[in-house]
Amino acid sequence: MQLACVNSAKSSVWRSCTPPFLRRCISVHSEASQGRDKKSSVNALVYVANKENAAVIQGPLNGVSVAIKDNICTASMPTTCSSGMLADFTSPYDATVVDLLQNAGAHFVGKANCDEFGMGSLNTYSIHGPVINPFQSKLDKGKWVDREQRSAGGSSGGSAAAVAAGMCDAALGTDTGGSIRLPASYCGVVGYKPSYGLISRHGVVSFADSLDCVGILAKDVATVQRLNSVISAFDPRDPTALPVEIRRKAYDAYTTRTPGSFEGIRFGIPQEYFPSELSPTALEPTSRVLETLKSLGGTLVPVSLPSTPYALSAYYVIASAEASSNMARYDGVQYGLKVKPEPSALEGDASNRGKVDIRDIYAQTRSTGFGPEVRKRILLGTYALRADAFDNYFQQALRVRHLVRDDFNRVFRVPDARFEESIPVETDCNSPDIDFLVHPTAICPAPLLSEAPNSQGSLDTYVQDVLTVPASLAGLPAVSLPVSSESDSGERGDGWPMGVSIVGQWGCDETLLNVSRELAEGMS
Amino acid sequence: MLSSLRHGLSPLNILRRRRLHTRRGDLLNRWPGWEVVIGIEVHAQIRSRAKLFSDTLTSELGQPANTHVSAFDAAFPGTLPRLNHKCVDLAVRTAVALNSNVQRSSSFDRKHYFYFDLPAGYQITQHYAPVSLGGYLKIDGDIPIRIKQIQLEQDTAKLIVEPRTRTPYIDFNRAGSALMEIVSEPDLTSPEEASNYVIRLQRLLRAIGSCDGSMEKGSLRCDVNVSVNRPGSPPGTRCEIKNLNSIKFMYAAIKCEIQRHISILNSSPHASVPQETRGFNEDTFETFKLRSKEDAPDYRYMPDMNLGVLRLTEDYIQGIRQTMPELPDAAWVRLQQRYSLSDAQIAVLLAFDSEKEIPYDGEAFRDGPVAYFERVAALTENPRVACNWVTNELVGQLTARRETYNDNTVTAEQLAELINLVRDKILTRSSGQQLLRYMLDNPSQTASPTELAHKLDLIAMSHSSGSASATMVTPAKPAADLHALCVAAIEGLPSEAEAFRRGNKNVLNKIVGHVMRASRGRADALAAKQALEELLNDHQT
Repeated sequence: MQLACVNSAKSSVWRSCTPPFLRRCISVHSEASQGRDKKSSVNALVYVANKENAAVIQGPLNGVSVAIKDNICTASMPTTCSSGMLADFTSPYDATVVDLLQNAGAHFVGKANCDEFGMGSLNTYSIHGPVINPFQSKLDKGKWVDREQRSAGGSSGGSAAAVAAGMCDAALGTDTGGSIRLPASYCGVVGYKPSYGLISRHGVVSFADSLDCVGILAKDVATVQRLNSVISAFDPRDPTALPVEIRRKAYDAYTTRTPGSFEGIRFGIPQEYFPSELSPTALEPTSRVLETLKSLGGTLVPVSLPSTPYALSAYYVIASAEASSNMARYDGVQYGLKVKPEPSALEGDASNRGKVDIRDIYAQTRSTGFGPEVRKRILLGTYALRADAFDNYFQQALRVRHLVRDDFNRVFRVPDARFEESIPVETDCNSPDIDFLVHPTAICPAPLLSEAPNSQGSLDTYVQDVLTVPASLAGLPAVSLPVSSESDSGERGDGWPMGVSIVGQWGCDETLLNVSRELAEGMS
Repeated sequence: MLSSLRHGLSPLNILRRRRLHTRRGDLLNRWPGWEVVIGIEVHAQIRSRAKLFSDTLTSELGQPANTHVSAFDAAFPGTLPRLNHKCVDLAVRTAVALNSNVQRSSSFDRKHYFYFDLPAGYQITQHYAPVSLGGYLKIDGDIPIRIKQIQLEQDTAKLIVEPRTRTPYIDFNRAGSALMEIVSEPDLTSPEEASNYVIRLQRLLRAIGSCDGSMEKGSLRCDVNVSVNRPGSPPGTRCEIKNLNSIKFMYAAIKCEIQRHISILNSSPHASVPQETRGFNEDTFETFKLRSKEDAPDYRYMPDMNLGVLRLTEDYIQGIRQTMPELPDAAWVRLQQRYSLSDAQIAVLLAFDSEKEIPYDGEAFRDGPVAYFERVAALTENPRVACNWVTNELVGQLTARRETYNDNTVTAEQLAELINLVRDKILTRSSGQQLLRYMLDNPSQTASPTELAHKLDLIAMSHSSGSASATMVTPAKPAADLHALCVAAIEGLPSEAEAFRRGNKNVLNKIVGHVMRASRGRADALAAKQALEELLNDHQT
């Protein structure tokens, strides 16, 4: 079957070709965004929870307000994944993470805007319209509502912006290749992507199962930790959840540290993470972080992760292939958008002309319901999975993924607890034996929305993810800490925040978060 | 239950097959100058309580549509698969029974295509690394048909088209149920062998409890690959016939396909059969083209990243081996050696045994006719007699009542006592049958056949009191009764009695028949004959 979606993908801004019935939904959602002046100028929340219905459960998260990314299933609120396909969809059940938060007494403010099904780096591919970064640079002297229109990053742009704009204390996001860390960097908040397999994906709408992680965005690390202690739990409903013994093994390997001291902790600086695309403004925050680490007693070690340059291509092959598979269920048969098929526009034998072919039913619904970026990735992934392309693309990408993982295992002091006999690739005594990696989260601060590349453009937009995908491919935990660029007289920066990432070995999340918190405290 | 009888599992069919069991060469002259190569993919629904990747209970045919569906089964966003290990147990049990090599690690893949019966747009199957490789199943005594592989996969939903409006409806009850795909090597050489292979496989799967084997219910479906070539030439182009759902249709489809290939190849020296996927028209008994090789879909197989690698330890496989129910061939040998039953008796007993209800999830079978027979045999003297009572009398009567062994209410102890009463001539065989019928009509676990026989006045009449067992109630009265009946018969048939006395010995049978009828089966024919002879001769003298 051919995916007949090429024709309708011509218009560059998807919203302009949104069918009328979808525009209706959008307007309904926008009106629901109360506090119009502030909230509608950010467009972070696409559904605002009804406060009266908020359940009052006594628990450790009482008083904590949380936004849920719109690709995480909630039975009490719609789950649109920012897609025309699910514009009217409400899930019949709650995701495990939603259950856990609710039972811990958290209060939900609503559903957060995102790129369609999590595919995008700028949160511009959404039936709800783009998220506008709530940050205003001190160099920008105008009114806040007239601030520079910059991207909030994606795909968890709504989650990051909602936290940055003070609409909630924390937000759940998902991170497949950087979708939490990138918007955290652009919006100036903390973004935490956990080790793969620690937080349940049950009820999280799959984009690429082997990469998808639920994570947390918040103003500070302590809030991230409060939520994490509730949602980081083994869930039998998630077949990729790692069992308790393995979590324990990884935790034990990292707990030799004295709290409050970075004495003896080795921080690796990967040379490949400073590519030519990196803007000079991105470098300065990282340098300040490194200085702080040193002043706190940490040891800085230059390291090399030589497979890094291949990671981005491998990531896009794997993620697109998995996406093309996961998107196959959106066909309008069971739920979601269904377009009444017009007689065949497909080529084929004349006998079919004028009749509705089964392919029309699928093609017309899917071409209408999916936005341009999702359509593009479905086509990319479908190509990569063809019988004659599978070895050269998908299998090759999996091999690169192994190399990327080997790179990490070579530099970390502790082996990866997921693999039984995690023999170091080379048992050479020159291993840098590092505990954490430190690198810029993004290659630049938040880009202007007017300069956001559209899906017809080149693959340039994917460069945004170049620094975040290796940890995703290896399933490693990462925290992006916001570093303002203002303290240094403002000359070198444009006043916009930048994220610096701390990455650890698989399963070291607790120590990683503690170190990140202490580092953030040391920075201020 | 009767379905399997209709589909070739009946004792008679099995007997006939064994007797007719042909050597391979015999069939060659049916299509002189041609060799036939057949391979079969059997899709067998695993007899598990829940579906392969969800907690939803599996459904039986005829249950209301869409009553066995969870969010996962309907491919709702955010749902994830969770492997049901009971299905793995049964697939491994099947693999072990087929002498197949269970893989220490296997994995699941997605097979993509768009159709209404496939809610996720892909089927989870085992394309790259199936759970078991190799193996064989012997047919027709000792011909091994090699197994290529056994893989686990999801069943699809069922598409029902409303005929008047041609509106398609989807029933998700079946969606996501576990299937084993058992792929044979192309080792079969005739439609007969193909049929026998599937019948043997059905019996095996039923015996080990991994599938109910019913083609009628759709629990077992076949795709058949057929090709034809000249002896000595490489195999011809194969055509696959999809979705054959009875042995009869499979047999007809293969035969039709062979003839079609031969007529194409005969049409010109350069003719070749185009590679096609074909269907079978159950009305015309012909195959028809579904799609050509060019239209073959690219399924874009991809590893399922959620399910990871299925690792099985040697201990686990050993455990499955040790808890394996007895296979039909082993049962055959045991029944032959321990009880000296005839082939015919064993065939019938095993055929009935194979109809026993199959428990879910590989749990222990309730005792079937074989176990029942063995308990009866332990309490009686002659196993062959016991076997006849179980198969001919008990199951025979149940069948006449449109019931099966599963409806039996007579305990092994009760039947054994009844058999012993007959052995000891306290009951005639005919009275024993009557008593059995009464016990089936009036179920009671505690009723004693001896007491019932007295209560129902079924105790045999005998002319000599010495023939009865000492432990039994003395049959003096019945002997007297027999005497009285014989006297009455002679009085009632004076001309026949006279004829006998004049030397027409054959007429005695008529008088015996009269006595038998009057005794309601309680009289022993031989005893009656003796008694009559004595009476008539006495009178003469």
